[in-house]
Parts: sequence; structure tokens; C-alpha cells
Amino acid sequence: MKHSVNRPPTPDGAEDQGNEPTLQEIINIKLIESGEKERLMELLRERLIECGWKDEMKALCRSYVKKKGRNNVTLDDLVHLITPKGRASVPDFVKAELLQRIRSFLMSAAL
Amino acid sequence: MSGPNEDNNTQLSSHIFGDLLDSIIVDVASECHRIAKLGLDRNLEEEEEEMRLSAQARARVADPSNSSETNTKYVVDIFGQTHPSVATEIFECMNCGRSIAAGRFAPHLEKCMGKVIPISSYHISICLYLSIMIDSYYDREFCAIP
Repeated sequence: MKHSVNRPPTPDGAEDQGNEPTLQEIINIKLIESGEKERLMELLRERLIECGWKDEMKALCRSYVKKKGRNNVTLDDLVHLITPKGRASVPDFVKAELLQRIRSFLMSAAL
Repeated sequence: MSGPNEDNNTQLSSHIFGDLLDSIIVDVASECHRIAKLGLDRNLEEEEEEMRLSAQARARVADPSNSSETNTKYVVDIFGQTHPSVATEIFECMNCGRSIAAGRFAPHLEKCMGKVIPISSYHISICLYLSIMIDSYYDREFCAIP
């Protein structure tokens, strides 16, 4: 008996997902190609600096580094440290502005 | 088609926003990680160094076998007093306002003033300051430096 005969069948999912890009992927490509993703990033970065969000995150990191000692801190530690607080403390008006821009883009990209 | 499309758009927008935010979070964490690893955070550096040197000084003072060349520990001065080999008198640095032990004052001044003081003015700076204090400390500091 040949091994190929006993080989388990290819799972169905792989065939379907492998070739067609998801909606999200299409949009992501459009965002990058048009340069809009870069612009959105810069806008968000700017707003987060202006409102003190970045300083807050940096302060959290500094106190953690001070507590643990700078040689015992990994990048992963810091990312896990500031992600929940970071996501939760974006001011509403900043989030609104960005969502508005993104929605306009989605409309204009005729999706 | 407004209903389902709008919901889709809203969901999509939130997801895209989340992605942007997560990227920025990683950037900020990277920046902080880099600063920490390269020791670029001056305040943290100074505090660490201070703590390390204080611990060192305390250990030296506490160690009974530690003696300078003139073995100042058991020498009695003209007033009939003995002094520890590393002066432990605490006073305030005139630059930063911190409380520093006399024996640790010169190294502290080096960092506090923001530059390295060459060895001869190291003695001079501490002597100038301490000449205001009791005179016997001058000899103590000068002789006690290992």
C-alpha cells in the first residue's frame, strides 16, 4: 500500500481561504497603496502626542523599568503593560476624528 | 443599501482604528525599551548609580577589616576622638539639595555637576566645602580615600 493512498484528505477550509483575499485584506491593500494608511498613522500619532497620551504611556514604562531594573525588561513586557491602558485611554474626540476619516475613505473607495 | 453596509463600515472602521492604535502602542513600547536598554534615561541612571555607591560605601564602613593605609579607625585625634574611615556625616549638597554622606560627597559632586572632575580638583572641591566644617575632617577625607 502506498503512503499517498493513506494520506488524510486535505481539509476543506484551506482550498477556499487560500486564494481569495478577505474584505479586510482588500481594504488594507487599498489603504496602503493610496498612502492613506500612512497619513492616518501620522494623524493618530500627532493627536496622541498632543493630548498627552504618549507621555502617559512613557511614564508607565519608566516606572515599570525602574521597578524591575532596566536589564530585566523585555519589549514584550512593555507592550503587554501599556496595551490595555493604551487602548482604553484614547480620548473620545481623537477616536471620533480618526473613525470619521476612515469611514470617508471606505465610502470613497466605493465599498 | 444603508443598513447592513453601514454596520459593516462601522465595524471595519473600528477594526482599522484598532490596528493603527496597536501599531503605535508597539512603537511607543519599542522607544521606551530602547531608552531603557541603552541607559539613555539620565535620571534613572543617576539614581541607580547613587544607590549602588551608597550600598558600597555602607558596606565599606560596616566592614571592620577595612582599613586605610594609616589605619585611621583606631587613631585618636587631638581632641581625643576617633572617626570612621569613611566620613558618615550627612549634609546637603549645595547643587541638588540631596542629603549626601561626606565620604561620598566628591563622587556625588562629579555627577551632580554634570562633568568628570580630574583627580586633583576632586580633592580641592571636597576640601573647599569641608573647610567650612570641622577642620579635622580635612585630614580624615584626604587620608581616607582608598
